[in-house]
Amino acid sequence: MADAPVHLFGIRHHGPGSARSLRAALERLAPDVVLVEGPPDADELLPGAGHAGLEPPVAILVYAPDTPRHATFYPFARYSPEWVAIRYALERGVPVRFMDLPFAHRPVEADDVPAAEADAPAAEGAGGDPAPGDARPGGSQGPAAGAGPDGPDEPGEAGEAGDAEGADGPGDDGALAGDPLGALARAAGFSDGERWWHHVVEGRRGDDALVFAAVAEAMTALRETPARVPAEEARREARREAFMRKTIRAALKEGFQRVAVVCGAYHVPALAAPTARGVASADAETLADLPRTKTAAVWVPWTYGRLATASGYGAGVPSPAWYDLLWADREGAPVAFAVAAARLLRAEDLDASSAHVIETVRLAEALAALRGYGAVGLDELLDATRSVLCGGDAAPMALVHRRLVVGERLGGVPDDAPTSPLQRDLAAQQKRLRLPASAVEKVHDLDLRQPNDLARSHLLHRLRLLDVPWGEPAGPGAGKGTFHEVWKLVWKPEFALPLVEAGRYGNTIADAAAAVAAERAGSADGLAALTAMLERALLADLPVAVEALVAAVHRRAAVGADAAQLMAALPPLVQVIRYGDVRKTPVTGVDAVVDAMVARIAVGLPSASLSLDDDAAAAMFEHLVATDRALALLARADHLEAWRGALLRVVDLPGVHGVVAGRAFRLLLDAKAFGRDETDRRLRFALSSGVEPAEAGAFLEGLLADSGLLLVHDTALWGHVDAWLADLSPEAFVVALPLLRRTLATFTSAERRQLGDRATRGGPAAGGPRRPGEHDFDEARAARVLPVLATILGVTLPTEARS
Amino acid sequence: MTPSPEAVLRQHAETQFAEELDALAKADDRRRPPSWRLSPWAVATYLLGGRLPSGFVVTPKYVGDRRLMEVAVSTLATDRALLLLGVPGTAKTWVSEHLAAAISGDSTLLVQGTAGTSEETIRYGWNYALLLAKGPTREALVPSPVFRAMATGRIARVEELTRIPSDVQDALITVLSEKSLPIPELGDEVQAVRGFNVIATANNRDRGVNELSSALKRRFNTVVLPTPATAEEEVEIVRSRVESLGRALDLAVEAPALEQIRRVVTVFRELREGRTADGKTKVKSPSGTLSTAEAIAVVNQGVALATHFGDGTVRAGDLASSLTGTVVKDPATDAVVWREYLETVVKGRDGWADLYRACRERL
Repeated sequence: MADAPVHLFGIRHHGPGSARSLRAALERLAPDVVLVEGPPDADELLPGAGHAGLEPPVAILVYAPDTPRHATFYPFARYSPEWVAIRYALERGVPVRFMDLPFAHRPVEADDVPAAEADAPAAEGAGGDPAPGDARPGGSQGPAAGAGPDGPDEPGEAGEAGDAEGADGPGDDGALAGDPLGALARAAGFSDGERWWHHVVEGRRGDDALVFAAVAEAMTALRETPARVPAEEARREARREAFMRKTIRAALKEGFQRVAVVCGAYHVPALAAPTARGVASADAETLADLPRTKTAAVWVPWTYGRLATASGYGAGVPSPAWYDLLWADREGAPVAFAVAAARLLRAEDLDASSAHVIETVRLAEALAALRGYGAVGLDELLDATRSVLCGGDAAPMALVHRRLVVGERLGGVPDDAPTSPLQRDLAAQQKRLRLPASAVEKVHDLDLRQPNDLARSHLLHRLRLLDVPWGEPAGPGAGKGTFHEVWKLVWKPEFALPLVEAGRYGNTIADAAAAVAAERAGSADGLAALTAMLERALLADLPVAVEALVAAVHRRAAVGADAAQLMAALPPLVQVIRYGDVRKTPVTGVDAVVDAMVARIAVGLPSASLSLDDDAAAAMFEHLVATDRALALLARADHLEAWRGALLRVVDLPGVHGVVAGRAFRLLLDAKAFGRDETDRRLRFALSSGVEPAEAGAFLEGLLADSGLLLVHDTALWGHVDAWLADLSPEAFVVALPLLRRTLATFTSAERRQLGDRATRGGPAAGGPRRPGEHDFDEARAARVLPVLATILGVTLPTEARS
Repeated sequence: MTPSPEAVLRQHAETQFAEELDALAKADDRRRPPSWRLSPWAVATYLLGGRLPSGFVVTPKYVGDRRLMEVAVSTLATDRALLLLGVPGTAKTWVSEHLAAAISGDSTLLVQGTAGTSEETIRYGWNYALLLAKGPTREALVPSPVFRAMATGRIARVEELTRIPSDVQDALITVLSEKSLPIPELGDEVQAVRGFNVIATANNRDRGVNELSSALKRRFNTVVLPTPATAEEEVEIVRSRVESLGRALDLAVEAPALEQIRRVVTVFRELREGRTADGKTKVKSPSGTLSTAEAIAVVNQGVALATHFGDGTVRAGDLASSLTGTVVKDPATDAVVWREYLETVVKGRDGWADLYRACRERL
C-alpha cells in the first residue's frame, strides 16, 4: 500500500511510543495533507497549535454558543500522536484538517433532552471527567474527551464501539474499543500499553511503517468479532467512520497525492477502502439528515491530572507524567524519574542521596531483567523507588504517584489565541493581579487594605458568582468582614466550561458576574436569599448589581414580608453596611432599607412571636439572636431603642412560646433594661408555681441556652431557679427534666462543672458565695472534745480553748 | 555424628527442597550472577512456585505479592544487601532462609541478633589455645558466618538486626560497602568473593530497640513484608505450613479440615484488623501481633492434640486452648478483649457454636 494515496496510521491516544513512531513515519512519507481524528468544527484553531505560547497539555473545547452546556473537550498532551501530527503538518506547511464527525452534527436529541440532561454533562465536565463515555474511549475516538455531553449529546463520540463500556471495565469488548492496543498489550502480558509498543517497535528494529501495518492487521482481526454494543452507539460509530471516509475522499478529490490519516487504531479497518464501489453512496445515506447546530471552539489549558485514567477520562492514560518523561527521552526516562523522585523526597526531608538514585536505577534494571523485559518500565521504577528511596515504606509513594506518575503540569494558552472573551478577560486579570492559575493548591492570605489584594478578592468573588470556584474561602476571617481574607486556589481545566457558558452574560468577568447577580435577584424566592446575594455582590464589588439588589430588597421588604423573614434578611444587610467601608464599595440606599426593615421588625415582632410550635420557636430564637447581634454591631441608638421596645412587648405578651420569651428577656437583661428588683420580679413571675413546668422549662432554655455563665454569676437568678426546682412536684420535675437537660447540654463543660460545684455546696438561696473559713458547726460542742485530744497528743491547750 | 536427614527435627531448606532446587537448576538456562546456583528468575520461581517446562511443579514458599519477592531477588542480584522488615510472623526469616538456600545452596551462614551479639560473631574470633600456643595465625582465627560467606561467595543471614547493639551493627558497614574485612592482627584481610551478600531481617514493630544508623540503612534495599492481604492467602499459608510441619512431626496425615483453619485465620484477621470480615462490627485488638505464624502454631497444636488424644480429626475443642492462649497474652486486658469478641462475634455466627462453647469453657 506504499503507493496508494491514502496512508492510515492507527495510533494509541496519548501514547508517546505511538507518537514517536508516527513522527518517524510522517517524516518518511512526507504527506501533502494530514487528516487527524478530531472535530472539524475546530479546524480554524489548528494554526494556533503552532504558536509558541500554546503549551500542552491543552484541550480544544467545542461548544454550542446557544447552549454552552452542550460541549466537549479534546485534550492533547505534547506526546499525543494527534498533536505530533498537527505540529508536523504546521512545521512543514502541509495542510492539516480534522476529520471526525463534526460536533455540529452531534444528534440533537441531546439538546432537547430535558434541561436536566443538559445539566448533567456540564456537571460532568466540571467534575472533571470529561466525557467518560465519550470520546476518548474510542480508541478510536479521538482525543476527544467529551466534555460532558456524553450522554446524549455526544453520542457521536462515544461511539466507539463500546467506548462507554470501555470506561467501565477493561477486558470486555468495550475496553477493546477504548484502548485496543492496551488490550493487546495486556493479552501479551505487558502491564502497560507503552511498554508493549516499545517492545513491538524495538522488536521490529524501528521500522515504523511495519508497525502501523501490524496494528492495522491486529485491528482487522479484532473487529472481525463484532463488539457487543447498544445499537445507538453502533450507529454513532458508523456515522463517525462514514464522515471520516467522506473527508478522505474529499482530500483525494482535491488532488492530494499522499494523504496521511491519523486515527485511533480501532478505526483503521473501517477506513481502509474509502473509495471502494458503493461506499460513497452508503456513507451519504448514513450521514443524511444529520442535525446541525452552530458551534464554536476554543483552546483551553488542560492538566495531566485530567488526562489520567483515574480522573474518569475514558481515553485517559495511567501515567501522564511518566509518559512525558518517556517522550522527552526514551532512554533517559528511568534516570530522570529516579532523580525526580529523590528530589521530591529530599524536599520532604527524607534521606535521598545520589547514591540512592544510582541504586534505584540499578535495582529497577535488575527487576526488568528478572521479569524478562528489555527496558525498565514504570512498575520497576516504582518498586525500586519504594525499596531503596522510601525504605520499603508505602506512605511516601502516594506523593511520588501524584507528582511523578500522574503529574501536576498545567498547560498554557497564549493571550491572543482565539478564546472566549471571558477567558481573555480572566487571563488579563490574572496577569495584572499577579495571580497565575496553577493546578497545585495554593493558599493566599489577602490583606484587603492593599489595592492589589482587594482586586484579587473581587476577582475571586466574581468568579464564584459565575460558578468558577477557582478560589475557596478558607480558614478564619472568611466572610467576617475583617481586613483579611484567606483563599485556597486550585485551577481546574474544566472551569473553562462555566466560563464559556457565562459568556452570554457579558464580555468581562465583572459584567457577567453583575448580570448573574441581577438575574438571580430576579428569581430569588425570599428576602433572605436576596440579601445573601446582595452580600455576595458587595464582596464581588459589583456596584450596579448592588444597587439593583438594594432596590429589590426594598421592594420586597415593603410588600408583605413578615417579621421572621425580615429578621433573616437583616444580618447580611448589616454586613453590607459594615463592609462598605473596608471594601470601598459605595453603598447607597442600604441605610434607608435597614431603617425601614428595623421599623417593620419592631412592629411585627410581637405578633410574629405568637402561636409558634417548637420548631418555629427554635427558628425565632435564632432570628432573635442574629438580629440582636446585627443591630448591636450597627450600634444605632434609634434602632436599638425600637428593637428593645419590641422585645419588651414580647416578654409581656401572654402566649409567647417560652423559648422566645426567655431569649427576649435575656437580650433585655444583657442590655441592662431592667433594674435589680424588676429583674427579680419578672423572673419570679416567669417561674412561679402557677406556670406549667414545661413552659417554665422552655423559658429557662430560652434564657440560658448557649451560656451558663449567667447562671453561675447571677446569684439572684440562681436563687430563683433553685427555688423553682425545689418547689416542683415529682411529676412536674419529670416533665421539666428533659428541657433542663437540653439547656444544660449547651453549656461548656467548665460552666457545667461550676454549676455542679455550686449545687453540691448547697444552694445559698439568697446568700452569695460562701466566704472561706465559714463553717457550719457548733464551736462550743467542738470545744468539748479538745481536752481529750490534748491529753492524747500530750499538748497544752491555750486557755481560751479550755474554757 | 550427623543424624540422618529424616531424623532431624527441622531440615534446612536446601535439604528439604533439594529436589525442587535440582529440577530448577536443570531447567534454568538463564544467565546466573557469579557464584549463584540459580538465575534470578529461577530463584523467584522457587520462592513463588510455578510449573517448569518439564512439567515439574515447584511449590510456592511465599504466598503473597509477587512484586515483593522480585524486588528481593533483584536486590541480591545487584549486590546490594537486603533488609526484610515486617511485624513478627510475616515470614521474614522463612524468606531469608529460602533465598539463601536457592542462591547459595546454603542457608546455614546465620548470625542470630540479640542484645548480647558481639563483634566476634560478625567479624571473627580466636581459638585462644592456639592463639597462646602459636600467636596470631590464620589457624587460630575462628571465622564468623559472615566471614565464611565472604570467603566463599555465599549469602550470609543476619536475623533480628535491630536487636544487635549499634556499635556491633556498625561492623557490618565495612563489610557491606568495602566488601572486605580487615584482620589487623595478621596484617591481612578477607575480601568478599563475588556472590557474597547479606540478608538481614528486622522487626519493624519494635524498631526502637536499636534503630539502624542511616549509614547502615543506606546500604540496604528494604522490603516490607505485609501480613497476608486476603483471608484466602492466609488460609493457604496456614494449610500448607501445617501440612508440612505435620509431616515432619509424624502427626496424623489426614489434612486438618480446611474449615477449622479458615476459622482460626478468620479469628486472627478480625482481631488483628479490629473489625469483622464483613466490615460491619468493630472489635478490639489484643496486645499481641496475632501473626500468621501464630495461627500456624495454633492449628498445629490442634492437630497434635487430635492425633494423640482424639480420633485424628481436629475439632473446636482441640483448637480452643491454644487459641485462647495465643490471643490472651496479657491476662488483664486481652482476656476482656477475647471475651468480648466471643460474645459479640463468635456466639452469633452460624456454625461456630462449638468453637464458642469450647473457648468459653477455657476462660
